[in-house]
Amino acid sequence: MKTVLVFLEQREGVIKQASIDTWNHVQELVALRPGVAVSGILAGPARTLQLEGLLAGTGVIFHANEEAFRLYNPRRYARLVAETMRREGATSLFFADTALSRDLAPRLSVRLQASLLSGTPFDKGKVDDSGCARLVYSGAAIASFASERALNIFIATSRQTSFTTTFGAQISVVVLEPSMVTDDDLFPMVSSITMHKGMRDVAEATIIVAGGRGMGSSGGFCLLEELALLLGGAVGASRPVVDEGWRPHAEQIGQTGKTVAPVLYLACAISGAPQHLAAIGSAGTVVAINRDPHAPIFDVADYGIVGDVHLVLPKLIEELQDFLQKR
Amino acid sequence: MQIAVCLCQVPDTSSVISFVEGVIDFSRVNEMMNPYDEYALEEAVRLKERFEGSVVTLFCVAPPSAREMLRKALAMGGDRALLISTTERPDPFQTALLLCRAVAAFYGGVLPDLVFCGKHSTDFQSAQVPLMLAELLGIESVSAIIKLEASADSIQVEREIEGGIESLEVHYPALFSVEKGLNAPRKTTIKAVMEARKKTIDLLPLTISESPYVTITSIKPLVREKKCRFVQDPKELVRLLLNDGALF
Repeated sequence: MKTVLVFLEQREGVIKQASIDTWNHVQELVALRPGVAVSGILAGPARTLQLEGLLAGTGVIFHANEEAFRLYNPRRYARLVAETMRREGATSLFFADTALSRDLAPRLSVRLQASLLSGTPFDKGKVDDSGCARLVYSGAAIASFASERALNIFIATSRQTSFTTTFGAQISVVVLEPSMVTDDDLFPMVSSITMHKGMRDVAEATIIVAGGRGMGSSGGFCLLEELALLLGGAVGASRPVVDEGWRPHAEQIGQTGKTVAPVLYLACAISGAPQHLAAIGSAGTVVAINRDPHAPIFDVADYGIVGDVHLVLPKLIEELQDFLQKR
Repeated sequence: MQIAVCLCQVPDTSSVISFVEGVIDFSRVNEMMNPYDEYALEEAVRLKERFEGSVVTLFCVAPPSAREMLRKALAMGGDRALLISTTERPDPFQTALLLCRAVAAFYGGVLPDLVFCGKHSTDFQSAQVPLMLAELLGIESVSAIIKLEASADSIQVEREIEGGIESLEVHYPALFSVEKGLNAPRKTTIKAVMEARKKTIDLLPLTISESPYVTITSIKPLVREKKCRFVQDPKELVRLLLNDGALF
């Protein structure tokens, strides 16, 4: 039986939603192909009970429940994952697209002589699991990549789905024997982590309310913050907004910022440069509010409102408040 | 301090990528230095200015036409450049392998103290070459750094993670891939451009027999299926979104 390994990333014991999405995406991909088993690898102390009802399908999770893996350490992590790949005879390894996987996966690719494919893995059934597609040249073109190796590592873009069925899922956890961690594994060592205060990160948000230059000023983003708070989402920004210094770079969505895959993306006064559109290609529902009916953002939107954000947004906020009160 | 900087060439981000008979038309595309590599080079030059006796060497895997770009990089503060000339496009693994061998050949088997790369190239955005190179060189690395403070025996760096910033301690020799915002790259002066003319660009004839890990099977123009449903007022929008299950 072929084995596919999914890396489950935790921070402070909380397993990332993006990793859960990847697991469920992989389960979907293998569902139509019999003879493929899915396993997980979880590095660091975490309560695996938190996964109950979130993971679909059948599989075993190997848990390195050790303090040495609490913080990301490239050497320790690379060795743990490489060892698990070999021991399980896994032919594919899946990562969610995160800061950690972008750091770890290229090293593993060389170490395991495995091809590294980032983007959207090919549709189930069509080809085998050895290819992916993604936008290139600032979103002007779409390229397909094929593996030339027996082992494959994927950094997969997986959208969070609200309807994942975990009914009948059978997930078991195997705690791994403590590994031999030596001092020469120490560097680079994470000395501290400073989390931004306030709202969720755009890369992890289910709902993103993003604003462009048309918001007018940093003050204009108050409306977006209010809306994001109401929806339980995060505020995002286009490049000009960050260049103007209205919002921090951490919120930038686009080629020089983050690629996002929320369930709902609300683009307010964003015209939709190719670099921006390329970064929201995996978003679920896209809503655009813009004064210019010919703005390219409407080419990728599911719903559009032509109008001034400063007039439309207060009404939208009011409608949502109304709805929440009645509920 | 010996500092290596890896540079690559990409289509000018402002040029329009168009297709002629299903193939990208590069005739109207200008090539330029990968924007992220400018931050990498700038950081290297700043360290050179701080640590006396440092040398910044540029490594580039590209077609021979990349000389012009390397000339600019020398004007920005590089001391000399090595062009590993290729006609075929190597995949990230092959590129990392070529860079690794060029670095080994140039420094005579001794590792440079620091290696800087851009976080990714803006054309393919694979972000694979820097960390693959670190693994091949067998040195410590941190990707996408936004801050760097070097002392004589260790380096403190910061990088963005989801929702926050991670601070790391690293020892020499190390490789860093560099995120936008690490510094503000300098503009070249006429004097610097003149001086750069005297600096050497060596062609390094390297070939590899290793096959690629990944091949590109197709590049097609992105055709978007327009499906936007225009609605008049927010009330209608809220109703539609609730219907789709996209809210709450």
